[in-house]
Amino acid sequence: MNKRIFLFFLLLSGISMYPQERENQPLNIIAIGAHPDDIDSRFGGTAALYSKMGHNVKFLALTNGDAGHTEMGGGVLAKVRREEAKRAGEILGVEYEVLDNHDGELMPSLHVRHQVIRKIREWDADVVLGLRPNDYHPDHRNAGIVVQDAAYLVIVPNVTPDTPPLEKNPVFLYMQDNFQKPNPFSKDIAVVIDEVVDLKIQALAAHESQMFEWLPWTRGVEESEIPKGNKERLAWLKERYTNRYTKNGNFDEEARNAIQKWYPSPDLSKVDHVEFFEVCEYGMQPTEEEIRQLFPMLGSKVSE
Amino acid sequence: MKYLFLLAVILSFQFSVNGQNQEDEPLRIIVIGAHPDDADIRAGGTAALFADMGHKVKFLALTNGDAGHTSMGGGVLAKRRREEAKRSAEILGIEEYEVLDNHDGELIPSLHVRHQVIRRIRDWNADIVITHRPNDYHPDHRNTGIVVQDAAYLVIVPNITPDTPPLEKNPLFLYLEDNFQKPNSFSKDIAVVIDEVIDTKVRAMAAHESQMFEWLPWTRGVKKSEIPEERDERLAWLKKNEIERRFPTEKTFDREGIKAIQKWYPSTDPETVKYVEFFEISEFGKQPTEEEVLKLFPMLNKKE
Repeated sequence: MNKRIFLFFLLLSGISMYPQERENQPLNIIAIGAHPDDIDSRFGGTAALYSKMGHNVKFLALTNGDAGHTEMGGGVLAKVRREEAKRAGEILGVEYEVLDNHDGELMPSLHVRHQVIRKIREWDADVVLGLRPNDYHPDHRNAGIVVQDAAYLVIVPNVTPDTPPLEKNPVFLYMQDNFQKPNPFSKDIAVVIDEVVDLKIQALAAHESQMFEWLPWTRGVEESEIPKGNKERLAWLKERYTNRYTKNGNFDEEARNAIQKWYPSPDLSKVDHVEFFEVCEYGMQPTEEEIRQLFPMLGSKVSE
Repeated sequence: MKYLFLLAVILSFQFSVNGQNQEDEPLRIIVIGAHPDDADIRAGGTAALFADMGHKVKFLALTNGDAGHTSMGGGVLAKRRREEAKRSAEILGIEEYEVLDNHDGELIPSLHVRHQVIRRIRDWNADIVITHRPNDYHPDHRNTGIVVQDAAYLVIVPNITPDTPPLEKNPLFLYLEDNFQKPNSFSKDIAVVIDEVIDTKVRAMAAHESQMFEWLPWTRGVKKSEIPEERDERLAWLKKNEIERRFPTEKTFDREGIKAIQKWYPSTDPETVKYVEFFEISEFGKQPTEEEVLKLFPMLNKKE
């Protein structure tokens, strides 16, 4: 009997200690993209969920975006985009840093690698998100390479010794893209973002120079097709930029399997928007349980 | 009877209009190889067919080939190879063969070379850009593949390389055939039957005399005495040693090759086809429909 009581208390204390630890030590997440707005469109919803739960999220753009426009360029455009990123960060509840490397000229150089190593260490990251090295834009590919290059080296004291190393290699994840060669993106983790999808759209809309000017231009969209009113603009944006492959109706079998894996018996017809992530082989290789600890929003009931 | 006559008039009118459109706006193709002779070996037949139909083809070598010989080198060799390239272009009937002055064996996918490539693609106002895959045996080939991939999409961005006006549309980017398997093998997406111009292709290759009869045989341990002296014998020897060694000929097309030939030449018996150049569609350029491929490759599906 005594043994049983002892065991009971042991279990109880174990259980109660765990959430306390959680509260005392929020998770540190850093997402690294090539341009101010890359992360928002691929991780904005999950970032908002982390932030609501009290975790620390940082977005880092490796270039200042100073090429992404037809009427503006250089320092003037970089300034506009840094302001837009700041607003998007406020909407999502995350810190947004924009480095001053030139847009369209990002190389996976040692200089940029060291910038990335320092930023990951300073954030004391548990999770690092990057782009895959086979995306359509050379800056995306090179941003992906440079983040991969930082994985493992973040724990090596003799590398970038001006900044103390991390004690553990974080989990490195890729944000979603649709490219197939040499290998397609794996939907390892699924995060349902329905409760924050409108925040995500608002954050995207904060990148006004991109969402309503530059990106439509690159796709041959006439200016007259873009609505003027705030509400109409958000609806237009939601239609255009959440539609691609993260919206119900476009889920493939792999997507459905991932949602079912991470959410207990969800009604898939009620899941609308999802962000997917792939586990990179170069960081910590998490167990399923560790993924649940690092993604505390997983497994929560999908809202009605 | 009257109706038939009318129909015939309408039909012939339509045909001639189409033909006129074709004539007014010839297609513009740029094939980018690492060395003077790479484009000829892998796309010479297709280039000759385009040229025969009045389309504008340019070959661009990113290096001057100044390392490809045993008893010559540097500027002397570069000069000889530039002359050979010029002769090859005349034989194929293409508009232009430009040889850049980057050193052979030292091509790096730097911003400098990327900007050279962006300018050339824009100056040519290319509808189609063809290059090596980034996993070929020669580092110059791989780096050519990388640098051309890096130019895809950026060719439409006005703030990038702003000394040269951007293209209005991202062209179709294609890869030249190679036989390497990792991390993924070449896909035979498009098949161009080149039987009617095979001898033109061989003569164009033979124009690269320093390569076809001196350097390449040496790299493979072929004795000088094995190489014929007389012109026709040389051409026959070249056809056997270079074309048939590199590319499978009749009855040796693999299943993928046969499928591609059947797809693009549905009324041709693959058994009767001898020489084919295959191309893979890159994910980073325009993603064409089957109909668009047929428009961009007007020699496809032509009956013998």
